[in-house]
Amino acid sequence: MTSATVDDTPQLEVQCRDCGATLTMPAHTFAALCPYCASPSVVDRPADRDGFRRDRPDFILGFDITHEEATRRVEAWIHRSRLFAPSAIKQAKVTKVQGVYLPAWLYGGVARSQFEARIGENYTTTETYTTTDSKGNTVMRTRTVTKTEYRSLSGDHAAYVLDVIVTASKGLGNEELETIEPFDLRAMRRYDAAVVSGWAAEEATLSRDEGFQAGRSEAMQKVERKLNSFLPGDSSQLVDFSTVFSEENTDLVLLPIYVFAARYGAGERLRILVNGQTGEVQGKVPTSAVKVAVAVLIGIVVVASIVLGLMGASA
Amino acid sequence: MSDSVSHAAVIGRCERCESPLERGDLRCAICGMSAPHTRDMEEVLSIQVLRCEGCGAAVAYDAAIGAPNCSFCGSVMRMDELVDPPEQTGGYLPFRVDRAEAQARLKKWLGSRGFFRPKDLASRSRLESLKPLFWVGWVFDAEAEVTWTADSNLGSRRSSWAPHSGATSMVFDNLLVSASRGLSSAEVDAVSGSYELNDLESAPHSAPPDSVDLEIALVESFDVQRSLARRRIVKAIEMTAAARVEHSHVPGSRCRNVHTSVLLEKLVTRRLSFPAWVLAYRYDGKLYRAVISGQDASSMTGTSPFSYARLFMVLGIVAAVVAAVSLAASLS
Repeated sequence: MTSATVDDTPQLEVQCRDCGATLTMPAHTFAALCPYCASPSVVDRPADRDGFRRDRPDFILGFDITHEEATRRVEAWIHRSRLFAPSAIKQAKVTKVQGVYLPAWLYGGVARSQFEARIGENYTTTETYTTTDSKGNTVMRTRTVTKTEYRSLSGDHAAYVLDVIVTASKGLGNEELETIEPFDLRAMRRYDAAVVSGWAAEEATLSRDEGFQAGRSEAMQKVERKLNSFLPGDSSQLVDFSTVFSEENTDLVLLPIYVFAARYGAGERLRILVNGQTGEVQGKVPTSAVKVAVAVLIGIVVVASIVLGLMGASA
Repeated sequence: MSDSVSHAAVIGRCERCESPLERGDLRCAICGMSAPHTRDMEEVLSIQVLRCEGCGAAVAYDAAIGAPNCSFCGSVMRMDELVDPPEQTGGYLPFRVDRAEAQARLKKWLGSRGFFRPKDLASRSRLESLKPLFWVGWVFDAEAEVTWTADSNLGSRRSSWAPHSGATSMVFDNLLVSASRGLSSAEVDAVSGSYELNDLESAPHSAPPDSVDLEIALVESFDVQRSLARRRIVKAIEMTAAARVEHSHVPGSRCRNVHTSVLLEKLVTRRLSFPAWVLAYRYDGKLYRAVISGQDASSMTGTSPFSYARLFMVLGIVAAVVAAVSLAASLS
């Protein structure tokens, strides 16, 4: 799905049903616009020649942000200066890229956990201590101190883990997808070719089983976060937990995403993603080694001058 | 019970938590399980063609409209039904208290408002309006597996608190959550216990009954969509579960840091319209309001004027007594 990887992926030839032209599209996409008559084609392939069973999407989230709006947001985002970004970024040329429906696995299930935790309960006590008063005499004083008593607690936790989204595309990793989440899943429809029509859409390139595994491990992290906020006490520490997942499901959902490629400097590329539903813009901006070095130097100088100043004052 | 009150909208039950699924539900609102793609739902999804019905040109999805749109003739293709339909009432509970009874009840209530109300409250109050109202709310039944943790004083050592945890199953029966805009939550609380919910299956009216003067009746509608409604219901269940845990499951006499996790199952929701009388009366030029349940006149609530004259009188007497006692004490 990235412009960088298109060149070496297998191509698929489809005949446009409006003008008869042959259009080529990357084999892992299933919707395209005819370059001659602009007719949208949605390809429904039962299975690949290599025998890889294609998963038909279950659900789809339509685009709410128009292409113009997404472009405007990306330009504004680029213009906002990033502290450690190379200066050339500001002059980056944004190349238009079609909105794409990105396949993702939607995982859910019941998580039943048993946990063991260390719970800190605070109490106050008075203690006596010796000190020297203003006249130089040694005196006994009392003060109130807060102490913590640790108790162990084990217990159960049961909850649904819902709406875990993991990528189903090899072209766009989970970390990158997470930067533009969340999506409002209430606007989800059952998959309908009409919503894809006129846009690019990608096939799932990670299998349902891979999605299931990734979804489950993300669910495990969610459970751990839930458990951490489930514990009582003034302070708490989750010592150990084990979770059994049951009644799990994975559905294939198409998410609306704009992918922008920007070029800057001497042929450097930058990939910027826009959430096609909320308009959230994210991109991995490289850090400029020069700018970081300058900042570190300034920091050193500031710290050194403060230290020297203090030493001078005390002397 | 659920099956007899469920309307045609229920298309099946969730495989995971057994809550009913309604037409248009892609996934279970409670546990997120995807709904089976039944024939029933396929009929709702009618449009699969990518051609404009007006001019036959190819049609593409338009993000600005949120629907496929023909760029040649501008016509917009209708998509499948609204994903998130507004809530609609499933039935009207009948009025069992008539106008005269409501009026008599107000009079009696005004006369029994206690010492700090004006003495002539019942005789000098003038009824300004008396309107039948149908307010809306959700009634639900559910089961839940509730796990909890809390600090309680039981088993404490040096600190006053000791940690506890537990698991319990709960049943929620006919719990009422208000969706009313016209009635305050205090007013709803005051009358909500008076409705005959179990009697529903026998006669839920599909329209406001004829016996009510519809010319003046206020008929509320649920001004929320299904997804928001479900979130409010789930929140209400979680609050109820937390309150129950705090009152009857955490051991000891005091507790804090109560955490609950609710695994909800078999949530059956009914959307209902409840009858009530809303009265406005005037006393001394000012308007006051009262609400009487439409099914049981003894269940009512309202505002009434406060007699400052009587309050000051009591304060004066108290002050005089205190002064007299202290005087007597100083003399002796």
